Order: sequence, then C-alpha cells, then structure tokens
Amino acid sequence: MRKLLVTGLVSLGMAVCMATAYAQSDCSKVVPASPFGPDDQTGATNRVTPQVTKAAAAEIQEGKVISLTNPLVDGVPLFGTRFTKTVLTAVTLAPGAALGKNGLTYMEDTWLSQSHVGTHLDGMGHIGRNDCYYNQTPMGKYINQNNMTRLGLEHLKSFATRGVLIDMVRVFQAANKLKTNPACRKPCLDKGTVITQADLEAGLKMYNVTLREGDIVVLHTGWVDIYEQYPAQNALYNSGEPGIGVDAAKWLAAQKVVTVGADTWAVEVIPPEDPQILFPVHQTLLTDNGIHIIENMKTDDIAEEVASTKRATFFFNMTVPKAVGLTGNFVGIEAIR
Amino acid sequence: MLSRRSLLAGATTTALAVPARADETGTVTVAFANLSEDPSVRLEGTGFTGAEVRESFSLAARRRSIDLVFYDNALDRTKALANTQDAIRRRVDVYIHYGWDNAVNTEIGRLLAAAKIPVLAIGRPVPGAPLYTADNAAAGRIAGEALARHAAENWHDRATDVVIIGPPTDAMNRMDERIAGITAGVAQVTGTTVRIDTGGNPLKADALLRSFLASHPNRKALVAALDDATALAAKSAIEGSLRHADAVIASHGCDRSVHGNTSDKRELDPVNRGSLLLGSVGYFLDRYGYDALPLATELAAGRPIAPRTTTQHRLVTPANAFVIYPPIDMN
Repeated sequence: MRKLLVTGLVSLGMAVCMATAYAQSDCSKVVPASPFGPDDQTGATNRVTPQVTKAAAAEIQEGKVISLTNPLVDGVPLFGTRFTKTVLTAVTLAPGAALGKNGLTYMEDTWLSQSHVGTHLDGMGHIGRNDCYYNQTPMGKYINQNNMTRLGLEHLKSFATRGVLIDMVRVFQAANKLKTNPACRKPCLDKGTVITQADLEAGLKMYNVTLREGDIVVLHTGWVDIYEQYPAQNALYNSGEPGIGVDAAKWLAAQKVVTVGADTWAVEVIPPEDPQILFPVHQTLLTDNGIHIIENMKTDDIAEEVASTKRATFFFNMTVPKAVGLTGNFVGIEAIR
Repeated sequence: MLSRRSLLAGATTTALAVPARADETGTVTVAFANLSEDPSVRLEGTGFTGAEVRESFSLAARRRSIDLVFYDNALDRTKALANTQDAIRRRVDVYIHYGWDNAVNTEIGRLLAAAKIPVLAIGRPVPGAPLYTADNAAAGRIAGEALARHAAENWHDRATDVVIIGPPTDAMNRMDERIAGITAGVAQVTGTTVRIDTGGNPLKADALLRSFLASHPNRKALVAALDDATALAAKSAIEGSLRHADAVIASHGCDRSVHGNTSDKRELDPVNRGSLLLGSVGYFLDRYGYDALPLATELAAGRPIAPRTTTQHRLVTPANAFVIYPPIDMN
C-alpha cells in the first residue's frame, strides 16, 4: 500500500512537472509559424527550387572557382572549451603491416571537435527563444542524449543557388566612414560596427544587384584578416566583430534569402546594439525565418574578384552533410563564376 | 538599454534655455569629457575604469545620430578647462562632463553657460545642469536587504553580525552614502554592525576578516563588501577559515572581476548558485553611455529632462548574471 502511495505521488509529481513543461512549451506565441507548413523542418532552403538553381547556373561563365572556406586546422579561433584534434590511424605503414600480396596500405582519421568551428553552417536547431525553435518547435520534446529528433541538418534541401557578395569594406570606404582595426593588414570594419539596411542596399547598388528570392548573401567585412592571423589574434577575433543589426536582418529576411554568411564568427554585430539582447540576428534569421547562417567564411578572395570584375554574383556551391539531428556542421564552399 | 530612474525634484527643468541644436542631417555633436582614462584609476569606488565608460559611449552612439568628441580630463583641473575651451571652439551641441571636483565643475559650468552649450553632469553636479549619477544609498540598501533576506530565510534566530568591509570613506567615491544604504538595508538584523577599513588595499580584507571570524566563533556574519575586489578577498577569508556555513557576502560594482563571458573565470555564474557571494550590486559604468546619450539628445533638442537621473542598480546574482550580462563568447 505504502509502495503504491509512493508510486502514486511520484507519478503525480511527474505529471505536474510534465504539465509545467508543456505549458512552457507552447511556442505559438513565441516563434512565428513556418510559411512552408506546420510540418516544415527545412526552412528557407525550400526556396531553392529547380528554377532557382537553373537561373543560378547562368552565373557560371568562365568556370572560375574561388574558395570561400577557411582551412580546418588546429589553432584557429575557438570559444571556451571548444577544441579541434585529429588522430591519424596509419598502422599499415609500419614495416610488414601492409595488407595482402598487393601491399595495400591505408590511413584514416579521427576528427574530434564541435560542429560549430571553422567555416560552418548554423542549422535551425542551433538557436531558439527559450525552448522554442524554428516553426514553433518546443525543442525540449525533441532532444535526446545524442542529438535532436527534429530540425536536424538531414532535412535541409540544396544550397545550389545564386550567391551575392556585398563588400561592406568598399561601402564604408565609399561613405567615408570606415573605421578599421589596427590589427587588420587590409582594410576591415572594426568590431562593434553596425551594418544597416542602408549599408546593404548601398553595397548592392554598387554592383547593380537586386536580391531575388532564393539568393545567398555573403558579407565581406574584412574581419577575416584577423581570423587568418591565428593563433596570435584569436583573442581579438573573438572579442567582437562587425556585423548586421536586427533591422538589416529583418530586411534580408523580407527579401526571402536562403542564407546569410560572413567572414565573422556570428554574422551579427558584437558587442550587440543592446547590451542585454544577445544574438538577436540569429533569432531573427534562424528561429523566426529558417534562414541559415554561415560563419567564419573566407571572403577576401571573392571580394577582390568582385571588385576587379564589377560582378558581385556567382553560383554558390556548398553541400551540407546529411548529419542526422545535428545543429550545424563545418562546410566547404565555392563560388563558381 | 538599461532603464533609468529619474528623480524629479519639483518641476522638471532644463539645464539651460537653449535653442534646438543639430546639423542639417539631424546629427548632434556630443563631447564627453571623461574623469580619467588612466587604467589605474577606478571609478565610483568600483572596479570600472574610464576606458570602460568611454567605450560605453562609443557603443551607445552607434545607432544614434551622434558624433562623439572624447576628452580625457585626467583628474586635472588645467586639462579639464582646456578641454572645455576646445569643445566651445568646436561648437559642440552638448557637453557631458564626468567630474570629480566641485570647484572645477563650477568653472566648467560657467564657461559652457556663457557659450550657451548645455551640459550634462555625470557623477558630481555642475551648477544649473542636470545630473546623471550612481545612487550609492540605493545600491547599499539593495546589498543590505539581500543580506538581511538571506539571514531571515536561512539562519532564522541564529546570532548574526553585519560586517561592512572595504576602503575608507572617501568623498570622491561617496562610500559614506553606500554604507548608510547598507545600514538601512540590514536594519532588521539584530546583531552588531562592524566596520572594517582595509585602508584601500582589498587584499587586507582577507586577514582582517579571518581575524574577525576567529573572534566570533559561534555567530553568523553578513559581509557587505564595498567593492568587488574586497568581496573576493572576503570570500577567500571565509573559505580559509572554514566558515562557509556561517557567512555570506554581498558586494558593490559588479565589475569584470566577478562576472564575465563563458570563457572567463567568474564567481557570478548560473552554475554557481551556491556561491558565498550572493551577488554584487550593479553600477553599470560600462553602460553609462546608454543612459547618458538619450539625455544628451534631449538637451540638444531643447527638451526638458529631470534634474537628477540615477543608475538603476540591481543585484547581479549567479541566477541572473547571464541575463543582465549575457556572454558573447558562445556562438
């Protein structure tokens, strides 16, 4: 009887806890519904239709490929307890260890790191508003010890679309308001510099580009020069960055872009515009609009190419692993012209 | 932006009757004369430096139509007057003066009044100008009440003393107001209140508090540290004396020595809710710009503002530290 009573009390306690959890997980007033339907886990890549990809293919005119990816290597800027470590398995190289009469040898690696390092994509499970994630998803219900069971990278469609570079350095130079950082070897926007909607529009106008639905926007701020000075400038790189403000993020979302990337670690301005509002651009793009973010991009080469050719558009080539239940992953990106 | 509490003493006033100012683009030029940018100079009896105050103005100005002109008065009367003269020559729209000396403030106020440039005083009043300032009495009361609440909730009727520990009373830092606030906050605590003066050396707090605890073996202690450096030394004393169960601390300032980003060593952390440091009353000098520039904008527009606006102090605790000071290094 006593056991039953205890069991009953425990059950009642659990029921109360669950009821509380469910009450906290009503995301309908916290996050907007997806325009792609109540079951949508794909987000803005729904916009990359065959027509969009075909139109983007017209950007390939010379076959020129420019990498937008920084090398994955020990020593690049990382936060807190994040790390990278590779372990090479090369046992068959030992004398006599080759396999078979044909002397087959092989090697492979163990890669230990977090998913949000180097040039990487933020998936929609990365950022929420309390427990609420993209498409009103109460994420507390959809996680286990290993991964998410909703909004993982496996749900994303293709990123084969048009890329548009907006060179913020040139925009700020043209407006005579560039405040660079002394550690930048080439001109850069200093950390804390807010990129506004007007700045974005000025950058588009510079090369006569009009954004169209399904585009990927890549911002060159010059901050990548600090990244490339790893490890000496890691502390500076991580201490802040230039980036877009909330108004600019909302404007980009209204243009129905698929992804926003930059040569910075968060795309958005740090320190933030309001010191008590943390990563609001992430919430605007990822949580509210399902628009992906790509961080730590290498944009200096494409910026030079754009400046010399006066053409700011390219075919955006990036494949994201079908990593089930992951919140993000490092990626390789090419601009094909 | 940090909200403000405005104390209206009678009718709302303006500093000066001045016409609305702004250039044709609507941009106003605001001069900020800092008290001192010497990194060894700590402001308002906290761990904050002048550089942090200046940076807050730069950050707060980003989304406002404001051009900033910075001056470093370096706690020097001659420099302060020269800086004021330079600002007058530039015809700035508003002059924000972070002062330390009443006589200097009076001279500066007279110069700017003659030039018809409105002034916003920070920290110490300029005659005829509105003032933005820390409210030490309110801050002290917040700390005192937090300590008293802890005693009431956890120690019940155990004999409890109050220890107010930190640097000497100093007119510039207005420690006397802070102490008065603490005293008011712990008024319900029935034990004795002891003042321990560290002579301006926070490290002395360790030995002095150990000595106090040793001489009060069967009592509880509510430790009101006047600044964060003292609070950390007090924590060391309590731990070294194995009196974890007998003492808690509330501090003042909430500078970067007690909170920080996820990569920093920090006492006020959401996962450290059992800390002996209950919290530190935020003085938010690193956000002064967010409070002062809206006031300056009003002055430039010729609109009235309250004669005295104070920082809205809050107790920053392990539970709310990441809300009030969200870490940026976690993306």
